[in-house]
Amino acid sequence: MIREGRRLKGKGQRAKAQVGRFKGERGVRGGQKGELVNGLKEAVLAVEGLTVYRDAQVAVKDVSFSLLAGTDTALVGPNGAGKSTLIQALLGILPRQGGDVFILGHPLSRSGKLAPQVRQHIAYLPQNFLVDRRVPITVEEVVGLGWDRLGLQLPWRNANDRRQAIQQALRRVEAWHLRRQLISELSGGETKRVLLAYCLVRPRRLLILDEAPAGLDFRSEGEFYELLDHLKREHGWAILQISHDLDMVRRNCDRVICLNRSIRCQGSPETTLSDENLSLTYGGVYVRYQHSC
Amino acid sequence: MGECMFDISIRVNSMQILPELARTLELFQFPFMQRALVGGVLTGLMGGMLGSFTILRQLSFFSDALGHSALLGISIGFVFGLAPSVVILPFAVMFALAVNHLLERTQLWTDALLNIIYSSSLAIAIITLSFIGRYKGGIENLLFGDILATQNSDLIVSGLLLCVCGVFIALTLRTQMMLTLNEPMAIARGVSVSDHRTGFIVLLSLVVGVSIKAIGVLLVSAFIVIPACAAQLFSRNFTAYILFSAGLGALSAVIGIGLSAFLNLPSGPSIVVAQLGIFLVVSLMPKANLPALVKRK
Repeated sequence: MIREGRRLKGKGQRAKAQVGRFKGERGVRGGQKGELVNGLKEAVLAVEGLTVYRDAQVAVKDVSFSLLAGTDTALVGPNGAGKSTLIQALLGILPRQGGDVFILGHPLSRSGKLAPQVRQHIAYLPQNFLVDRRVPITVEEVVGLGWDRLGLQLPWRNANDRRQAIQQALRRVEAWHLRRQLISELSGGETKRVLLAYCLVRPRRLLILDEAPAGLDFRSEGEFYELLDHLKREHGWAILQISHDLDMVRRNCDRVICLNRSIRCQGSPETTLSDENLSLTYGGVYVRYQHSC
Repeated sequence: MGECMFDISIRVNSMQILPELARTLELFQFPFMQRALVGGVLTGLMGGMLGSFTILRQLSFFSDALGHSALLGISIGFVFGLAPSVVILPFAVMFALAVNHLLERTQLWTDALLNIIYSSSLAIAIITLSFIGRYKGGIENLLFGDILATQNSDLIVSGLLLCVCGVFIALTLRTQMMLTLNEPMAIARGVSVSDHRTGFIVLLSLVVGVSIKAIGVLLVSAFIVIPACAAQLFSRNFTAYILFSAGLGALSAVIGIGLSAFLNLPSGPSIVVAQLGIFLVVSLMPKANLPALVKRK
């Protein structure tokens, strides 16, 4: 059984690490604490002891992991394991009841507040992205929303830069010809490409995908992962994606986290996705079927 | 023979129509008609602009509940000897905030909760009004409004509110679009859903409160809902949708007031009938032709 990752033994030790990190933010250094801070600075996302309750029940308990720049990490586990809950807590969509989250070294508050300049570096695609067919919004407008700094601003500000960024993003996912289409008129695969353009329209540091490639055909899925690989290698994006496709995880991801309420194991896919670990994560005896052509 | 009779009937009708048209045009020389027209246009613009977001967020019933609850505010005002114009705006805002809080807290179905609130507030208002003998005669004005009684001060308030609505929508357009499209994605981008929802609801309650005097409690939600629904049927992008919605609100006010002057009909209901007419025309047009009408170059 492979269990990687740093584990803090007690509350006291976790509290000390917390102090070190906050001091590091202010430029205070010293011995072990300084090393800890330096280590966290490299992490695009650092999670420690995260606990989330939903309807008075523990959905995720004591989860700790970190994501480095230029890596693709998969989050796997059975249905109801708390994967989407974990991601929503990392983004501040759901409040958390315990633990700490740091994105690019900035703390995420318990109520989900994060520095606006850090938010600009995060892209997120939720599970089952459904658009009400009655919303009259075009592909161009949806992608443009990814470029905008949301808040108080005049809609025509930086119009030229915005238009160019939209064009580049849509061309990159081969969806430029769809720009004037209403988003409700697109097929599932086309919608996914447009949403990927929404993420690409501005340089990011962290991309979080909740079963994003679901619904893509074989060719589109291949292109999707090629693009993720390019973003990771060439631009240093850190990617965290929920997936049920373990073969895809083995092929494309650098790291895998097995979750079932708490982290059962994490590490490289080759070593972590063993039958023993998968049985531990999914419950029961895990039998792997080999498909041969 | 038949052709001759047809010709005569046209002449007779045109002879009747022309003086009526002249009379209608003369009516618009009067300041009260001019104020009604300007007031109608301002209300139509505001209602259409906010209505575009209201219907997409499935808050149509919210404006209806606000309108009905205003009656409760006015009746409470009468108990304390306060004029409706003093009571209605603060009450509408407080009521909207309370309902928003209840919606967030109870997690009940929006339409069910709003139904409870609006029917019970209406019931309490009617009971309260039954104790105030001197107001019995004026209940019709409250229910159906009187746009012809619009004063210059009403126009100033409406004009200011339209400016506030325009600035709010312009400055938060992208955020409002993101919230309408997908709330979790908006939160992930750092948008405070609660703050924006509260801001929008306060503005909507002010628009409803200001419009009640002209349109009345029963019909005020039509100004929010019908132009936006008509605009949604043929809009090909979001910004155009908001502009069309506001434009149709203003157009229906002009047509409605013109109709009411020409046919001597009540003004508020005439505007709503004009809105319905526009909606029916748009919805009965072949779908294939609608996008072509607004196709961008």
